[in-house]
Amino acid sequence: MAEYGKLYKEHTAILKHREWRGFKDTAYDYYRWLVTWKDMIKMVLKAPVSTVKGLWKYRWMCSYLSTPAFVDRHVAGLRGPHLRMAHLHYNMIVKHATGLIHTSFVADEKINPGNKISKKIVLMDEIVPNEVFSGFPNIIPIPLQTIPIFLTSMVDQQITPPYLEVTESFGVPADVCPLPSAEVGVAIEDDYPKMGCCIVASNMPCDGSIMNSSFLDRRLQLPVHLFNIPLRYKGEDVQEYAVDEIKSLIEFLEKQTGEKFDWDAFFAAMKNYNKQLDYELQKWDVNKTPYPQMTGAAFWLYRIYYFNLSGGVDKRFLKVDEKVNKIMMKAYEKKTPVSKEMRHRTVVWSCPANYYTSFANWLENCWGMNVVMDMETMISYLKIDTEDKEQALKDLAKTYQRSIMRTHTKGGYANVVDELWRIVEEYNADTVIMYDQISCKGMDGLTGIFDDQARERNINFIWVKQDLMDPRTISRRDMREQVNKYMQTVLQEEPVDPSLLDFEDDLAW
Amino acid sequence: MRDLKHLYYLENLLQEANNELVQKAKNEGGIALGYTCYHIPEVLLNCGNCFSVRLRAPRTGSMDIATYYMSNFLCGYSKAILERAIEGGYNFLNAVLASETCSEINRTLEHFELLDLVPNEKFFLTFLDAPFKIEPHTIKHYVKQTRLKILDMLTSVYGVDTSDEALKKAVEEHNEVCRLMTEIGDYRKEDNPRITGYEYHILNLATYCCPKSLILPILRETAEELKTREPDLKKKFRAKIVVVGSEMDDPEFTSLIEDSGALVVADRYCFGALPGRQEIKLVEGEDVLTQICTHYLRTSQCPRFMSHEKVQERRDYVKSLVDEYGADGVMYEQLKFCEYWGYERALASYVMNGDYGVPTAAVDRQYTASASGQLRTRVQAFVESLEIKKIAKEKEAKKNG
Repeated sequence: MAEYGKLYKEHTAILKHREWRGFKDTAYDYYRWLVTWKDMIKMVLKAPVSTVKGLWKYRWMCSYLSTPAFVDRHVAGLRGPHLRMAHLHYNMIVKHATGLIHTSFVADEKINPGNKISKKIVLMDEIVPNEVFSGFPNIIPIPLQTIPIFLTSMVDQQITPPYLEVTESFGVPADVCPLPSAEVGVAIEDDYPKMGCCIVASNMPCDGSIMNSSFLDRRLQLPVHLFNIPLRYKGEDVQEYAVDEIKSLIEFLEKQTGEKFDWDAFFAAMKNYNKQLDYELQKWDVNKTPYPQMTGAAFWLYRIYYFNLSGGVDKRFLKVDEKVNKIMMKAYEKKTPVSKEMRHRTVVWSCPANYYTSFANWLENCWGMNVVMDMETMISYLKIDTEDKEQALKDLAKTYQRSIMRTHTKGGYANVVDELWRIVEEYNADTVIMYDQISCKGMDGLTGIFDDQARERNINFIWVKQDLMDPRTISRRDMREQVNKYMQTVLQEEPVDPSLLDFEDDLAW
Repeated sequence: MRDLKHLYYLENLLQEANNELVQKAKNEGGIALGYTCYHIPEVLLNCGNCFSVRLRAPRTGSMDIATYYMSNFLCGYSKAILERAIEGGYNFLNAVLASETCSEINRTLEHFELLDLVPNEKFFLTFLDAPFKIEPHTIKHYVKQTRLKILDMLTSVYGVDTSDEALKKAVEEHNEVCRLMTEIGDYRKEDNPRITGYEYHILNLATYCCPKSLILPILRETAEELKTREPDLKKKFRAKIVVVGSEMDDPEFTSLIEDSGALVVADRYCFGALPGRQEIKLVEGEDVLTQICTHYLRTSQCPRFMSHEKVQERRDYVKSLVDEYGADGVMYEQLKFCEYWGYERALASYVMNGDYGVPTAAVDRQYTASASGQLRTRVQAFVESLEIKKIAKEKEAKKNG
């Protein structure tokens, strides 16, 4: 692995051949690569006509053909238990996502006019976690933007710019956060599958997503419910309102779908949710020790995926967690090193770039920076009551208040500034990779404070500028360069793998 | 037209946040309460011996220090306020009442606490949680928040009387300001208005930034003066427009627009009068605070309200202003880096044009009016297009007899 960079073809960073990881690991990795293909082919075979029509109709669908390369990027350099755990996580994501794509195409009225599934679907803003829908086992919740743009942008960095251009041509400024902007682009291009009996919009996570809802509303023309989550969420004074909002959402869903909220189904799902949370917290605990077992991208990608898209409903996630937990605990007991060389225990903070989700793998492989905790993983870790209805709603409300991105960027600076220093201490980190997502107004507004306080703590504080969904503004290579400069000039270190120091991947997926 | 008697005085007054009237009120024992947003009900900040000051940063120059703290990518207003606060320009404040409305100004105001910017032991900063839609439970939440975060804080820290009687008194004074501003503003509906958009902008800003009791005599006198003011015989404008958009507290923008041939007849932007200067009508027997809060929620035109009916209402409201004030078009303006208005102006200008048939221009701008050559060109082009449309319409009308 020492010279992983030499495996890359120029510009595209496509691998010339698969990585040699020793016989067992290479065989396992190859087997998992085949499993990814199997899941993708299975999806096509389940509804070949709809899938092929979808492929021709939607620009973003082509990006999913590069899913195996996405998985390869994210397991680069991994060995032993770490490799196995990461593969199990990514494979579960692929399995679930192919299911979502399949449902979307089958239910798409543009592809299958008059189909019956469409009316069973409730669209929701992608940031609304799935938990509340577990009380409606007969409806199919689909996160509107996840498949067409959010997940695609992680799989293929080239997919977002055309949508951003459409939005900007419409007149939305180029300086807004590219995530909601790209979602608007998909709406303007009419690239969302047409389905659903209603939609749940939300004020999460930020100002941009609040504002793009009027564009989506205009395109979709569906009955819409606005689900609000309090912003100053740490106070008890907002909790009554938060619970009222959930009740109001349930009432809307009951009215629109004719279904009754099923408390038994909800509690059953929350039991799974709580079990998953136990496994998650165990991962965190292990990472606090000198022998972390899961570092890098799989940690947060899997976490946000199951938190938002399963929420205890899909039991397959729980099975994966059980398996991963076994592997992890065994490796921890044996004190297995997570990577070849662990030089810096690193915390990654602020929103990661969708177009470079595997950045953490590069940090580990190139510089020995093991990401032991990150902001995205640190979403709600509160359990949900599974017996008392009122208490369950209160817990659910608090969980939603602590969902992706908004848990840190809303509710006051302490949630993101003080919280970072708490994590750094708890995980005994010596380095912080601080993403400067240049269009994130909530984070931009604290740059000086972060700098001041990092200096006071004498910590390696590395700013990495990125533009979330737009690799044209700051490329993957530019992101790497910022770390390289810090490591070489400030810390005067030599890379673990010099072949990864600089390579071109602007044309990569 | 003859200059308004108090215009020059008010223009000078607005050159400072801590202006002569603010200082006078402070010397008389007043409690100065800063705020930046319509989500903080202004009238609540005028209870007892308190007075509200909507924060501006007039004569802003370099924003280097604020840029260090908040990067290049935040709006000029938020950075100018921080810069001014660091310079000590708001040391006169006794408290800042804020709501987490937009991320940018939220971060700015957090710096008051983070950098301990106001050297006053009793100074406090609170943030309330404002809803995004209007339903019974969201009104209840908003009322609770204003009670906890504004009224209770004022009482506990400064011993301010926030009883229903005190609230009613504040509403009464507020309503007089609103009545006078509405009376003055209504002249803008005339065919050849006797007041310019710039003059109105100055008067209106003064009502936001000065203690109400001290600005009222000036407003009364100005309203009286306007009753007999004769407009110029020859119209000095070529088109009338409604300005809609984000925070605008620099009257030089209105001046620039009017120098370019348009007359601003309606000000539908933050710090404007529409909304902001509408009377609060209290009904006996109902909770006073709830009525006040409901008024602010219902009248707010902030794009942050994302419910379907509020979005629609914003568009309808702009159209109603166009009709009521006899405007030829609408100019949507957005403070650069304002996330809310970046989206709103793009879609609303498209909808106004396409669905409502109202000619619309959309521009972005900096916080201060200096170096706005591009904006001047945009306004001139818009005025020309409005004139061409007018001529075409007249021709069409002639043709059709």
